[in-house]
Amino acid sequence: MEHGARYAQLIDDRPDEGIFRINRTIYNDPAILEAEYRSIFEGGWLFLCHESIIPRPGDFFSTHMGRQPIFVVRTEDGAVAAYLNACGHRGSLLVKARSGNVQSIICPYHGFCFDMKGRCVAVPKRATGWPGEFELSQFDLRPIARIESYRGLVFGCLTPDVPSLREHLGAATALIDIFVAPAPQPLEVVSGYSIYQTACNWKIMHENGPDAYHAPVVHNNFAAAIAYREKRSGAEGLRKTDTGRLTARIASASYDLGNGHTAFWHERPSPEAFPISAQKDALARRFTPGQLAWIVERGRHMTIFPNLLLNDLASTHLRVYRPLGVDRMETIIWCLAPVGEPAEARAARLRKFEDFFLASGMATPDDVAIAEGAQQASWAHASPWSVLSRGLSSCSDGPDAAARELGFAPRVSSDSWDHEVAIRGVYRRWLEMMEHNPERRHV
Amino acid sequence: MSDPQLHAAVSELLFREARLLDEQKWSAWLELYEEDAVFWVPATTMTGGFTTDPEHELNFIYITSRAGLEARILRVETNSSIASTPPPRTCHLVTCVMIDAANDKEIRAVASWQVVSFSEQRGQQLRSGSYEYVLRPFGPSFRIARKKILLLEHVIDGYFDVYSV
Repeated sequence: MEHGARYAQLIDDRPDEGIFRINRTIYNDPAILEAEYRSIFEGGWLFLCHESIIPRPGDFFSTHMGRQPIFVVRTEDGAVAAYLNACGHRGSLLVKARSGNVQSIICPYHGFCFDMKGRCVAVPKRATGWPGEFELSQFDLRPIARIESYRGLVFGCLTPDVPSLREHLGAATALIDIFVAPAPQPLEVVSGYSIYQTACNWKIMHENGPDAYHAPVVHNNFAAAIAYREKRSGAEGLRKTDTGRLTARIASASYDLGNGHTAFWHERPSPEAFPISAQKDALARRFTPGQLAWIVERGRHMTIFPNLLLNDLASTHLRVYRPLGVDRMETIIWCLAPVGEPAEARAARLRKFEDFFLASGMATPDDVAIAEGAQQASWAHASPWSVLSRGLSSCSDGPDAAARELGFAPRVSSDSWDHEVAIRGVYRRWLEMMEHNPERRHV
Repeated sequence: MSDPQLHAAVSELLFREARLLDEQKWSAWLELYEEDAVFWVPATTMTGGFTTDPEHELNFIYITSRAGLEARILRVETNSSIASTPPPRTCHLVTCVMIDAANDKEIRAVASWQVVSFSEQRGQQLRSGSYEYVLRPFGPSFRIARKKILLLEHVIDGYFDVYSV
C-alpha cells in the first residue's frame, strides 16, 4: 500500500543531520484524517473519562472514540463498562445526555430495553411478528473491545489486538502516580466542566501542550495581568498565582516517554502558591526526598497519545481532544482535586484554573488563536515544513538524573522544557501507528 | 409592578454598560463597578445545568474585585494577547429588563442579552443568555456590585472574554 510510504515522507526524521521536520499537509488532508480515525482513534487506546464521574451503579458518561459514539457506565457490580451508543435494533442513539444515572437503558425509538451489562432484556410486542425463534440476545449492545483503568483514568480501545493499558502507558505510569497519589485521598473531578471547539486540526492543539517554548511569548500578557492584579489587590499564600515560569529562567526538563506520550517539568519559583505544599510534612513521611521534590517543587505536564493531557502547572486538570474534521476539533476539560480538600485550597486551585485555562481564561484563548492561525497557515503549501529540531543535538537517550529519582525510563530526555524532544516523540508514534495498518477496520 | 422611574434608571445603566463595552471605553466601563464587585459566569455541569457555588465549583469567569476586571482589560491593552488584539467589535443588545427586588441599599435586576461580535480571525459570532445584576445607588445612578452572566451554549465555539458576553 502506498499510504505507508506517503506518511513517512511527511515526517522528515534525520537526527544525525540535525533535521526533524513535519509536512503541514498532515493538518489539512482529509485522507490523512480518515486514516487517523481508523489507525489511531479507532485502532488504539484512548482516554475516556475519570472514574469519579461515574461513582454509583447506573451512572453514565457519553462520549466518542474517534467518530464512534459510545457511553461509559458503572454496572451493578461496580465495574466500568462501555458500549457503542447505538441501539442493537435499528441503531438509534441510545444515550442522549452527557451524563446522568439510569436504572436501565431504554431506546427512544422502539422502546428496546437494556441492562448495564448491555443485555437486551425487553422489547415491545415480543410475542408477535418476529420471524423464527426470538432471541433477545441478538439485540445486545456492542461493548467496546477493551476497557481498563489506571489510577482512576478510564481508557478504552475499539480493537482487541493491542497491548495492555499498562504496557501502553509505559514510562508515563510513574508520572501519573505522582499526579494522582500525593494526597492520601483519591482525586475527583470538580463540579463543572467545559467543552470548546477550535477551528484547527487536532494535532496542532496536541502539539501545543508539550510545547513550553511558546509560553513566555504567548502568555507574557497573562503574567502581566496577574502581576497587576496581585499588586493592586494584594494576594498572599495560596491565593497567589505563580507566573515565574513564564518570566524567569528556571530549571526544567522534557521527555519523550515512548508510545507518543510526553512530559515536561519546571521548577516552581513559588511552591507555596500550590495547595499541595500545605501537605509537605505529611508527604515527607511517605515519599523519598527525590519524589518529594517532584511532587512539591516541580510543575508537571503530560500528554498521553493521542487524546489526553494531564497538567499540574497552574492547577490540576484533564483535557481530552477529539477531531471533528481536518480543521475542527473539540476539547473537554475538567479540574481535578483531592477528595475532601480544605475549602480554601479548593477555591485557590479553581481560581488558578479559571485564570489560565478554559475558552474564557486569560491564556487558553491565546493558545486557541495561535492554533487557528496555524491551521490557516497550513495552506501555505509552497513552504510546507514545520521545524521541530530544538534540543536535537543535546538530548540523550534514556533517563536523566531527575527521571532516575522518580524511577521512570523515558525514551529520550532533554535538559530544557522548551526543547522539542517531546513533540518529536509524538510524531514518531503518529507515523508508527499510521504505517501499522492504515486500512484496518474495526468493530 | 415596579416603579417606572426606577425601571428607567436601571435600564439606562444597563444600556450604558452595553454602549461603553461596544465603544471600547474601558476606563469608563470599569468605573461602573464597585471596588469589591463580583463578575461571575458559571460553568456548565455535565447534567446540563450551571454551577451554583462559585467559590468551590468551576466557573467560566469568577472575578471578585474591580482589580480582576482591570487585569482583563490590561491584558487587552498589552497588545500581546493574540486572541484580543484587536478585541472583537461587539454589539450588545440588552432587553427584557425587570426589577426583582429594590430597597435603599440594593437593587436586583435581570435582563436578557445577545452579543454579536466580529473579528477578522473568527468572523461573526453570536452569543446570548441572561444577566442578573445587583446594583448599589451611587450619585444620581448606580454602581454594579455583582453581575452574573448565564451563557446559553454548552459547547463554546472559539473563546470569549468579559467584553464579549
